Amino acid sequence: MVRNKAVLLAFRVVLGGLFVYAGAVKVLEPLDFAQNIRNYDLVGQALSFIAAIVLPWLEILAGAFLAAGIWKRGAALAISGLLVFFIVLTVVTMIRGLDIDCGCFGAIDRKAGLGVILEDLAMLYLGLCALFAPRTLS
Amino acid sequence: MSEGGRVVRQALALGALSLLVAAAVHFPLVKRFARGEFRESFFQASEYPGVRLITLEEAEDLWRTAQAAFIDARRKELYDAGHVPGARSLPASEVGKAIPADVLNSPRAGTLVVYCEGGDCQSSLLLAKRLHDEGFKDIRVMTGGWEAWKTAGLPEERGDGQE
Repeated sequence: MVRNKAVLLAFRVVLGGLFVYAGAVKVLEPLDFAQNIRNYDLVGQALSFIAAIVLPWLEILAGAFLAAGIWKRGAALAISGLLVFFIVLTVVTMIRGLDIDCGCFGAIDRKAGLGVILEDLAMLYLGLCALFAPRTLS
Repeated sequence: MSEGGRVVRQALALGALSLLVAAAVHFPLVKRFARGEFRESFFQASEYPGVRLITLEEAEDLWRTAQAAFIDARRKELYDAGHVPGARSLPASEVGKAIPADVLNSPRAGTLVVYCEGGDCQSSLLLAKRLHDEGFKDIRVMTGGWEAWKTAGLPEERGDGQE
């Protein structure tokens, strides 16, 4: 784990910024995102709808709090939890052989696949560094 | 309070805050959902004026009177196992690729009926949106899908051609 204060701050700002961006593009098109969730074929219409309006705000708030240094660990936990969920979801989607858009960054056309998993793992590393940073450094 | 407990509470509070903000910001959309909109699909009719959801009866009528070209959005092996007679296979999983030339060359004003497995399958709607983006003006999605067609005992065709 990283033990340099400046690097940890950079990690928080980068990861927080990415989450704010990812959430913001989805907030603008909630129905498109709901359809993205529905396409995973795991939950029905109602849950897809609820997730599509709540999840982007969780990304934005957790991202903003992490970058701003408010409730840093709580925000890092929420973001790391989301990333673990996204990784599991993408692996399951690949195993099921579904050829669908990941819905990761709104309208940007990307398939749920290995690239998404590697990207999420990289972000998870940043999130875990922020979550487990020693108190004196965070 | 332990550090771990505090962190978990912060994360839960962020979740609750997100719920409140989402409900406030998307209140008009939530109201529409509560009124029963988006129960079958999330597409906004205003964005896809050429796409309509139709019942099995409407689809059957179009098929019997040969007023529409049918497109099967399921995987090829499901199409081969049985499909609406005369329907063309165009798996929705291939919508990311180029639409085949014979489909693109068909008249944009003609009526297309798209269907998938049935139940709450989504692939016919995905394909319908893609065809709409290609300029087709009248695309109808048979919401009951193949399941409804088969259950109703309507004619079916196997493989690439004859029954």
